Amino acid sequence: MSSVLNGLGVGLNAVVAEVFHVAPTAALPAWSKTSSGVAAESEILKSAIASVSADLDRLGSNSDETSAEIFEALKYLLEDESLFDMSVAHLDAGWSAGAGYGMAVNEFSEMLAGDAAFEERIADLQDISKRVQASIAGIHVGLDLPATGAYVIVGDDFSPADTAQFTPAVVGVITVKGGPTSHTAIICRSRSIPAVVSVAGAHEIPAGTSVLVDPVGDRVVVGGSLSDATQALAFADTGREPLIEVRANVGSLEDAEAAAKTGAVGVGLFRTELLYLNESSQPSVDRQRDLYASILAAAPEGPITVRTIDAGSDKPVPFLKMPGEENPALGVRGYRLIQDHRSFIEDQLKGLEAARISTGREIWVMAPMIATVQEAAEFAALARSLGEFKVGVMVETPSIAALLPDLAGIVDFISVGTNDLSQYLFAADRMNPSLGALLNPWQPGLIRTLERIASQAKAAGIYSSVCGESASDPAFAVLLAGLGFDSVSASRSQVDAVRSALAAVSADQAVALAKLVLAAKSAEDTKTAAVAALSAL
Amino acid sequence: MSTYETMIQVIDPIGLHARPASLIVKAVKESGLTVMIGRQGEKLTKANSPLMLMALKIKTGETLTVSVESDDEESAANLVAQIRDFLQG
Repeated sequence: MSSVLNGLGVGLNAVVAEVFHVAPTAALPAWSKTSSGVAAESEILKSAIASVSADLDRLGSNSDETSAEIFEALKYLLEDESLFDMSVAHLDAGWSAGAGYGMAVNEFSEMLAGDAAFEERIADLQDISKRVQASIAGIHVGLDLPATGAYVIVGDDFSPADTAQFTPAVVGVITVKGGPTSHTAIICRSRSIPAVVSVAGAHEIPAGTSVLVDPVGDRVVVGGSLSDATQALAFADTGREPLIEVRANVGSLEDAEAAAKTGAVGVGLFRTELLYLNESSQPSVDRQRDLYASILAAAPEGPITVRTIDAGSDKPVPFLKMPGEENPALGVRGYRLIQDHRSFIEDQLKGLEAARISTGREIWVMAPMIATVQEAAEFAALARSLGEFKVGVMVETPSIAALLPDLAGIVDFISVGTNDLSQYLFAADRMNPSLGALLNPWQPGLIRTLERIASQAKAAGIYSSVCGESASDPAFAVLLAGLGFDSVSASRSQVDAVRSALAAVSADQAVALAKLVLAAKSAEDTKTAAVAALSAL
Repeated sequence: MSTYETMIQVIDPIGLHARPASLIVKAVKESGLTVMIGRQGEKLTKANSPLMLMALKIKTGETLTVSVESDDEESAANLVAQIRDFLQG
């Protein structure tokens, strides 16, 4: 008997092993008051902290050095004296030990909130709070994974604390939720554990059943064997240049240096916000010039496309005041910051122009989060008044995607950010682990939108590029070339793989592949059509 | 018991974040001395809690007042040197 469950694959290798279900953690009890008194509750809290501390020691001693340091840092937070004193103040008011500790953690979380440097610490604090409350309530929070043998583990989704507990017996992973950029996907990719995420119905597979985890096929085959696994596409080295230019995405000097070692022709996306996250005050134009010049000088040969600051209240820059918003993804972000921070965006362009002159590099600049032709025209005029740039805009909002013909004569180029375009096109929050399947770039709704963007850009005489995650997938990059895009920009680790795929196909073959994909009706069928066309080359 | 007060500039590019805060509290506890830390000119915080130090949200380039209570100038100076080191990044 074999049945197939579809999801999103992570990695290139397949594995066959028995399914092991990770038990979901029981819900924590609601916070309540007690009459047992502050002395008794303080003792309960003290011993719970000691027991969680011992758990962390145990986790730390079973993991590699990096993870061990993480657990050590968690212990400092767990055993913080002020945290304990603040908890006792709540116990004094009659709250039970778990409630008092939870409240004190929330107070510290609020004190640390709004500062990017502390976001992960807040997550750590909340994790500790859960562990302490669970310990008091007698609820077990460990994953209880087998230490030996070989298992494919199945769960809803795995947190950093969960993945730190993966034992060598974890040879494959299936999650019900989570998308291609979830924490589980990132960890499995880095540790080369075959995984398929966003698999609805994975909980239905009986424990102990043998399954094939087939990430290249984006599927789990119950009862399948390794010979059923989908083979990763391999492209022969033709010695030809790629069909369209392949650029690299960079955000730091280190990225630029690494990208220069690949075959990338220039940079298709330079994320500038990373340079500002650690600045407590707005850097001067001179300082910005120096920051940019070092990166421009190190970047691979070719034009360098620089995106002006792409920050928002969920991705704050310390010196720009960004009040909290109900919906940060739909809020004041990207180019919209010009409402309150015009001088900052102007300084950024001035620093860039000075760096352009000192390094002699060709610079293209583009603004993120453009929704109207007026915004595009305003940015283009501003950028041209401050430097000798080619000027463009990101296509991320469905509204600007509908207005491409009107951008003729206004911008020199566009670059499609497929991650955000998917989020806004499908009305699916990128941060919501339940919506991973909608954010799959192989969704026909996205591909047909990309087709329209490429053909309208061409008709309007605008150069078009794609710089989202999707362009790092070699098969998707061939599709983009077939749809008519002029270049793609990939993660630096993927540049050479994308280049060899684009060197293996002719223009006619890419167009034929795009036709087949455009005719398909589901995310599974579009990808299957592309892979079949590439395998037949 | 005398009080030794010193100014230390934060060089660490992320400011007074979790790691230096934990290291400072660890060193203070090991020394057995009472140490107060805060922004120059503001109320000082007792350096026995990494969370309280982090909650000051001290950024790169800011100058801190570090005040050590000790009978012994040398042990105070040693501790201050360690704290200065943790804030170098």
